[in-house]
Amino acid sequence: MTADGNQSGKSRRTFLTAAGSTAATVLVAGCSSGGDSDAASTTEPVTTEQAATDEQTETGPPEEFELTITQGTMPTTLDPHDHRDIPTDITMLQSYEGLLSRTAEGEITAMLATDWERVEEGHVRFTIREGPTFHKTGNELAPEDVAYTINRIVDDETGFTSPQAGQLAGVTGAEVADDGRAVDVYSDGFNPIVFSEFAIYCDVVEKAWVQDNEKSYVAQHMNGTGPFEQTDYEQNQSVEFERYDDYWREPADVSHLTIESASDAGVRVNQLVAGETDLVVNVPPESFSRVEDSEASVEAVGSTRVLYNAMKATVEPFSSPEFRRAMNYAVDLESIIDSALQGAGGQTGQPTLEPFFGYEADIDPYPYDPDKAEQLVEESGHAGVSIELHTPVGRYLKDLQIARSVAGMIDELPNVSCSVNQRTFSTLAGELTDSDITTGPDFYLIGWGNATFDASQTINPTLTSDGSLTSWKNDDLDQLVEDANSTTDTDERERLLREANQLCHDEAPWIFLNRQYSVYGTSDRIEWTARNDERIDAYAISLAQ
Amino acid sequence: MGYARFLAKRGLQGLFVVWAVVTVVFALRYITPGDPVAFIAPLDAGPELRQAIAESYGLDEPLYVQYGRYLWDLAHLDMGQSYARGTSVSAEVLGALPVSLELAVASTVVAVVISVPLGVVSAVNHRQPTDYAATTLSLVGISTPNFWLGVMLVLLLAVQFNVFPTSGLAEVNGETVLFVDALRHLVVGETRWLVEWLAHITLPAVTLGTYFTALVTRLTRSGMLEELGESYVTALRAKGLPEALVRYRHALKNTLIPVVTVLGLQLGTLVGGAVITERVFDLPGLGSLLIDAINQQQWMILQGCLIIVSGGFVVVNTAVDALYAYVSPEVTAE
Repeated sequence: MTADGNQSGKSRRTFLTAAGSTAATVLVAGCSSGGDSDAASTTEPVTTEQAATDEQTETGPPEEFELTITQGTMPTTLDPHDHRDIPTDITMLQSYEGLLSRTAEGEITAMLATDWERVEEGHVRFTIREGPTFHKTGNELAPEDVAYTINRIVDDETGFTSPQAGQLAGVTGAEVADDGRAVDVYSDGFNPIVFSEFAIYCDVVEKAWVQDNEKSYVAQHMNGTGPFEQTDYEQNQSVEFERYDDYWREPADVSHLTIESASDAGVRVNQLVAGETDLVVNVPPESFSRVEDSEASVEAVGSTRVLYNAMKATVEPFSSPEFRRAMNYAVDLESIIDSALQGAGGQTGQPTLEPFFGYEADIDPYPYDPDKAEQLVEESGHAGVSIELHTPVGRYLKDLQIARSVAGMIDELPNVSCSVNQRTFSTLAGELTDSDITTGPDFYLIGWGNATFDASQTINPTLTSDGSLTSWKNDDLDQLVEDANSTTDTDERERLLREANQLCHDEAPWIFLNRQYSVYGTSDRIEWTARNDERIDAYAISLAQ
Repeated sequence: MGYARFLAKRGLQGLFVVWAVVTVVFALRYITPGDPVAFIAPLDAGPELRQAIAESYGLDEPLYVQYGRYLWDLAHLDMGQSYARGTSVSAEVLGALPVSLELAVASTVVAVVISVPLGVVSAVNHRQPTDYAATTLSLVGISTPNFWLGVMLVLLLAVQFNVFPTSGLAEVNGETVLFVDALRHLVVGETRWLVEWLAHITLPAVTLGTYFTALVTRLTRSGMLEELGESYVTALRAKGLPEALVRYRHALKNTLIPVVTVLGLQLGTLVGGAVITERVFDLPGLGSLLIDAINQQQWMILQGCLIIVSGGFVVVNTAVDALYAYVSPEVTAE
């Protein structure tokens, strides 16, 4: 398995040095969880798992393995329910655990729940694992803790408004079931994605510990059941963890974990190259070769975030489907990904990403065809129109560069002119999310992340008439999504969502852009496989052989 | 007596400056686009959550109410809470202040140690090769952008040769080491803390000090030349005072008055945080805090930073003036 590991490392290396060529792009695409990488993603984890078990049965975990992870920002808080950002999430998951989780391949898997089932419509039951203990108190996990956690997130009555309430959408409350070892969770309506939701949010806290301590104390200390016990926290500086030896699974390989941050990407790359840290996030494309030339490598993997240009379909010229399709044909997405992103991005042709539930595998991205685009613009009756693309700057990887390329390509059409308007993200977001489709720009670049791995959580907010970020009003789509959300038949639900994706592709309410890639720099001394959902789980990191 | 009155007057002026800064920042909220709520709330948050967030930070109230409340709290030495993070602004700002202060002082020390002797040598050897060399050096220093110098120093000395760490604050046994910590351990005979601290502060201090070095060299040189041409120098030489005493005891001492002024002013600027240097070396000082606050529309933190920065200016300026007043009493008389 050592040879395997090395080979995959080498292939990444070759791709990076040759980045820019088409061959490189194919390889990058292979790094994502795409269909062509199925082989890789099924064999690799098996070998690493085997490696882990072999090692543990023979020698146990290494005595000393200090690991440092450098993110872009520090966690905003250590309260697991008082945030909605990835860097805080990554810090939390080292120490706190939920009921369910996802494997690297996106499958829902057991964590603190051993069993989960639907009892009836709007009522699901989790059986709680016996054995896990809380770090700070040593107390064993009880169903009361789980019920309290869920209510703390979804119910304002607990005296605390969690920004994660929307992530457990539909869930109204929880209580300990009669048999004592299970927790009943209630939802409004059927709630088809309830288990997907619990696979991301719901970090279980100890009821008594939270209630006995000040809120500010809970925001500065962690008391989870996970593989690492938090030992130190310096605001804006670092969070330190020690391996938790009484963990309910095998103890982690990493013995001491430090999470730090450096907001400047250049600083992170310097730290990695100088050997001061082992894993850094968001390596900028221009630094790929520097990382590869040192004792580290670049790991690129498709994230759950899709970038797109929304075209507000209620105003001219975007009310014309021909015009919207023309915009898609006018953009050479492949060359944008090659040049602006050095290959670290995937093309999309529908709102939903692979391997989400409801992804329509038969859809190909729009090809680059400026002649067809020109002809479609003529047909739409909007020849000679001027449009302006609004874009945030610095919010997404190379957002401005992507927007400029898109606008430049559209501007090259003889019958459309297009310019870019640079915006502050919070201002743009404010205009878009005020639940009023008439405010805000008609044509804008934005990204949408969806960690539930379910198509509805992309299409609902961004494309249905009632979506908080919508740019489209289409009765057929609204109907499809409504049907999908109310059906209890999983296959039927998948069919409906796939149809919705096909409709979105055909009607083109967006210019479909790239799937954002998570690009990490990892030291050659560690063994780690990057995940689609942006999670960095130190438990899955081992020393390279 | 007169001295105390002078200080009291300056203190009042300082308070006025700080109040003016706070007021201007508050007024800026009107014309700055963007809303902190839009930044705090997740993209898909509904109107209820947005309203709840606005209420919890008092952002739904009219600006004059927020302003009044803020001044009231400020009078009670409370700078409020940051948005989303929920931390106390005082803690954030006071945590960042020593980092910036250290960097400011260290770079000033670097600058003074290099520039004053260089300026003197240059003036004494007027129009000789040493003078030209020193002048050229200061020209290079003054025209080197410090973001470039910082990055180059890191790439060369930290990444390539591993002599210095690339970034961040010093840490020993998982604890951040500031200068006071280093001193505390030095007193009991442990040098490791000081060594770590020096290793981390050197590159940022050199980066930030370089521009400053060039400036002070030139200032010292021209001041020294001027003083050496004064008639009192001729008189001193005529009475047979050794040249070394003439130069360093008399001429240099007089030269240093404008140098101290510039140093003081510069220190005031540096306390506000050397944004670029802090960024390049990832130092969690006031400059970094300020930039992050602006990017994330953290008005409360922004205000806190600006109060400290303007307060810093006021304190340093007052200190410099007080020093003046001490050296030459006519300043007080004005």
